[in-house]
Amino acid sequence: MSIFPSLWARVLAAIMVVGVVPGADARTPVDQLIVGMSMVNLLSLDPAAATGLDVAEVNANLYDMLLVQDVAEPDRLLPALAERWQVSDDRTTLTFTLRPGVRFQSGNPLTADDVAWSLQRVLKLNLALASTWKAYGFTAANAERYLRAQDANTFVLQLPRPSDPLLVLNTLATSPSAFVLDRKTVLEHQKNTDLGAAWLTTHAAGSGAFVLNDWRANDVLLMSRFDGYWGGPAKLKRVVMRNMTESQSLRLMIERGDLDIAKGMSAPDISALQHNDKVRTQTLQRGTLYYVALSMKQPVFADERVRKAIRALIDYQGINQTVMPHYGVINQRPLPLGLAARLPDPGYRLDVEQARRWLAEAGYPQGFKTTIRVLAEPPFINIAASLQATLAQAGIEASIITGTGNQVYGAMRERNFDIIVGRGGGGAERHPHSSLRTLVYNPDNRDEARLSNFQGWRTAFFSPELNRLIEQAEVEPDASKQLAAYQQIQVRLDQQVGAIVPISQMTDTVLVYADVTDFHGHSAATTRYKDVYKTR
Amino acid sequence: MVVMTASALGARASGTARRASTVLVTLLGLLMLTFFIGRVMPLDPVLAVVGPDADHSTYQQVYLAMGLDKPLWTQFGLYLNDLLHGNFGNALLTGHPVLDDIRRVFPATLELATLAILFGVLIGLPLGVCAASNQGRLGDHVARVITLFGYSTPIFWLGMIGLLVFYAWLGWAGGAGRIDLGYDGLVPDVTGLLLIDTSLAGDWEAFASALRHILLPALILGLNSVAYISRMTRSFMLEQLSQEYIITARVKGLSRRQVVWGHAFRNILVQLLTVVALAYGSLLEGAVLIETVFAWPGFGQYLTSSLMLGDMNAVMGCVLVIGLIFVALNLISDALYKVFDPRTR
Repeated sequence: MSIFPSLWARVLAAIMVVGVVPGADARTPVDQLIVGMSMVNLLSLDPAAATGLDVAEVNANLYDMLLVQDVAEPDRLLPALAERWQVSDDRTTLTFTLRPGVRFQSGNPLTADDVAWSLQRVLKLNLALASTWKAYGFTAANAERYLRAQDANTFVLQLPRPSDPLLVLNTLATSPSAFVLDRKTVLEHQKNTDLGAAWLTTHAAGSGAFVLNDWRANDVLLMSRFDGYWGGPAKLKRVVMRNMTESQSLRLMIERGDLDIAKGMSAPDISALQHNDKVRTQTLQRGTLYYVALSMKQPVFADERVRKAIRALIDYQGINQTVMPHYGVINQRPLPLGLAARLPDPGYRLDVEQARRWLAEAGYPQGFKTTIRVLAEPPFINIAASLQATLAQAGIEASIITGTGNQVYGAMRERNFDIIVGRGGGGAERHPHSSLRTLVYNPDNRDEARLSNFQGWRTAFFSPELNRLIEQAEVEPDASKQLAAYQQIQVRLDQQVGAIVPISQMTDTVLVYADVTDFHGHSAATTRYKDVYKTR
Repeated sequence: MVVMTASALGARASGTARRASTVLVTLLGLLMLTFFIGRVMPLDPVLAVVGPDADHSTYQQVYLAMGLDKPLWTQFGLYLNDLLHGNFGNALLTGHPVLDDIRRVFPATLELATLAILFGVLIGLPLGVCAASNQGRLGDHVARVITLFGYSTPIFWLGMIGLLVFYAWLGWAGGAGRIDLGYDGLVPDVTGLLLIDTSLAGDWEAFASALRHILLPALILGLNSVAYISRMTRSFMLEQLSQEYIITARVKGLSRRQVVWGHAFRNILVQLLTVVALAYGSLLEGAVLIETVFAWPGFGQYLTSSLMLGDMNAVMGCVLVIGLIFVALNLISDALYKVFDPRTR
């Protein structure tokens, strides 16, 4: 006789029956785009405070910019809110004529006042993205003078100090701070004098092709089509972005057709799907580089011969062939691949014997002890492991200190490190200055200068000659002379052995389900979903 | 009689006051410990807000706005003061008040944990009873293997394998998330519990989708509770089954089922209450790994993400909620003791 009362058996049977009811065939709705991605870096949607590539993609669909980079040819700038633009002869004033009849999602007309106010707001709030504009000499105090509406349809941007107008245009086409906000709607939600900052963290007030319906941090972001969009309504009715941090879950879901787009998958999972005919891969080149950074605050790395030795102790080819597929492609220059001014790779290879000779010359024939700080995630940790092994071949005993991005870059900002395996570089601007300013330029090497946004300062690499050349190249009006100047900078940087040694150009791989059509990922992360549809 | 009632009331009041003060001191200690540990962690909440490339003036502005320039005790005092006024502060991660966030993420965990503990109880109790009443025989060995599996299998691995087999291969289970993505945002949010909200909305397709999504993670999460509850049940039952009153009952001619369930099992109910309450409490803290594998937007994920950002407002709010959960479960267990054990009345 059983000791189980029949009730238990019935409950168990019921659970098992419900558990095995097959689900409907997994397909996403035909009029919705379902995106799976990690949202852990999505902290604020406010264009003045938003950092990271993910938020740029979200905001590119909620807001508009004056102009955009062409997806197929990023060097080409196309009109968006600005119908046309003009650069003054002295190259200090850019005048934009706005497209007539554009309205925000609220119904308010979009005017030059909104454009000027949106950019002034970034400087007045002085949040994460203000540094983009401060680099041109704009400040909270001069913003209203230099960023102004001439009339309802004309916006004028006057440069406070000489720069290259092409660089400024690129910033306007790519920076997440360059989205145009509905001033009236934002000010209706202003608290004290925050210019709507608290409200815009989780809301949007734009003119983009999609309206933000809901954003629950680390959960889901919902957008629906804006039928009054000036460029015509989007083909899909709704976009759902779901926070998914686990790569294998993303893989299973896109394989089953429960996702249309999967982003942020690990290299092994991407490789596993490469021959799946239901899924396509799109590789997008980003403006940032994977690098090995040496702190010249440490006497050992202040010696040029030691930096040369470290440069010869990196297995560039091995790392790029085994670790970097789906993460990056080899690049040994500070400029992004594809820029006209970029010189071909110098051809550095792992050369332990040469490195030993340089170390001996520098007085370290037996090597030395040091540390490598690195993010505890691929590909950073794999690069660090490779570096640790090759440094050991020349007697350098490096211990690896892992941490979060916050800890690794925090230490770098404080100039408190020996070696860092990291990632960084210019923005998405297709201009050499953007990368050189971030990775090489360092106008004041004193600790108290605290130029922590310059990675040159963080590594304490200080070359007055290179600073001068970078400043001169930025304002050089003749295109061919400017090109030559940027090439000269790369040669001199090579000779002076920079403290940041580039290894690889960052790439992102996006997985797209087979029936999704006209999804074109943008290298500037401003991927727009307006023309995406499904072929079924 | 009147004097006795007054004294009983006085004793009860003093007992309640003692209990309330214990709870308050516990929660304060918990908050203090969390706050100071949070502040010594090598995480910079300012960098989380401004990003790694912000310039120094922006960094300083946010640093001051967050009050991080003040001494630690002042910061803690200000936090407590806000707390007393019902202000838990805003979360860095979401920009929302922490309480609103917790109200949003907690139902997801509550729904999952409740189903998991139901599974744990429905399987674990009979398994434990079966093991005890078949000590050393096949039933006991089978129960041991099941509990060993529940204890020793990494939940992350089990989650991945579960998804692969029941979602990708067989198509029985829903994938990651609480519901098919196409339904996201379409079901009116009444309780935050999707099974209930979809029922209230009468949207049975959405209900079926939510059910398919929750069953697998709940079963996997419940497996650990099955192991814990069944082992404890077995041990309590063995103790009871060796008592003389059990032999007497058998001699009197009662069936084995009546002896096991009607006598021995009833006597372990009070002990089991504590076991189940503790297991439920740990599930309500949030199961970070299972929430990660199944992209479950619950309390565990919220707490972990906040911790990684150094977002102390959110972390402290969560710690307080966890503390309150355990206090509430203790109080409920105490109340239920009186129902099941007349001696404690």
